Amino acid sequence: MLKNAFLTLLSLAIAIGGGGGSVWYALKAQDGVGAIRIGQWTAFPEIGTQAADPYSKARVAREGVLALGRAEGLSFIAERDAGGDQLRRECAYMIEGGFPTARFWTLYAADQSLGVVDTDRPRLAALQSYQVLRQPDNSVIITVGNRPAPGNWLLTEGFGRMYFVLTFYDTPIASSTGLSDVTLPRIVKAGCNA
Amino acid sequence: MRKLLHTVLLGLLGAGIVHIVVLMLVPEFSERDAWSRLAMASDLYKMTRLDAEAGGAPVVKSVDPLFYAAACRFDLAEGMVRIKAPGNVPFWSVSVYDRSGHNLYSFNDHSATGGVLDTVVLTPAQMIDVRRELPEELQGAIFVEAPIEEGIFVIRSFVPDDSWKPVVSQFLEQSSCELQDY
Repeated sequence: MLKNAFLTLLSLAIAIGGGGGSVWYALKAQDGVGAIRIGQWTAFPEIGTQAADPYSKARVAREGVLALGRAEGLSFIAERDAGGDQLRRECAYMIEGGFPTARFWTLYAADQSLGVVDTDRPRLAALQSYQVLRQPDNSVIITVGNRPAPGNWLLTEGFGRMYFVLTFYDTPIASSTGLSDVTLPRIVKAGCNA
Repeated sequence: MRKLLHTVLLGLLGAGIVHIVVLMLVPEFSERDAWSRLAMASDLYKMTRLDAEAGGAPVVKSVDPLFYAAACRFDLAEGMVRIKAPGNVPFWSVSVYDRSGHNLYSFNDHSATGGVLDTVVLTPAQMIDVRRELPEELQGAIFVEAPIEEGIFVIRSFVPDDSWKPVVSQFLEQSSCELQDY
């Protein structure tokens, strides 16, 4: 009798704990259903639309996101460098390569909540395409770190995990099937201040 | 032993069901969605700044740091809503969201006549009424048909550098979100 009660409780515990926990985990992971991966960059083109999958819908409701519309732009998030390591605020990185067609783009370093990294200085941890210097072949090299660097410098500060958020505004890649042959810049670790 | 295995399997099956049910219920019961956050910050038909620049914590998260944004909530059951913003900024884009934060329609300054933001959000039924006789003052407006009642309208505007901050701030401060009589 007692054994039956125990077994019932065990199966209920597995059901509720496992079910709730797996939803929580699925919503926390940056990856997931509906994601498009290009190199280290991940985008959710469907997020915030009626056509989105249930996971995206739950994430939108839980985090109070108002996602960019198709005519506005498309955001890509990177959480790892080209070597597969997690991005960290105490490390220096190089972001290099070509950027797809858009009216302009913005790039910023974000913390866990995807808000911009707090630098404690007037300079924002963000860059945009009108202010960057370009190579002769129109590609861009950006140095990320807490030490000033020549060329394009994205300031970051502090310790802990970091994300890069790259958003293209008024871009053809947000609509249509243009996403298939898009290449995005590479993120290479330059060194860490341990 | 077989009983234990049976229990675990049953538990896993239950976990699958709970997973699906919880996932479906999250959007229904969330008190942290964009609508609820905006409702705490301001009334219907009132443009509210979403970025932290206007003071206080940002109302809705994950706004690009190089952007300023403002939003207003509306209820089309009370009538159509007209959104206007004067001034010239480098880039603006707008989106119409339904009650649960789904993006229904968006456009940017390239779609507007002369880059001026003047738009009317209305239901298909209201659109039929308006089409019958278009009022003079709505001639230049962009009409957005949305099959919803409650909704959110968001204006986003690009701030290329610090010198644009006052201009873009003013653009958003002067934007209006009004119930349009017809």
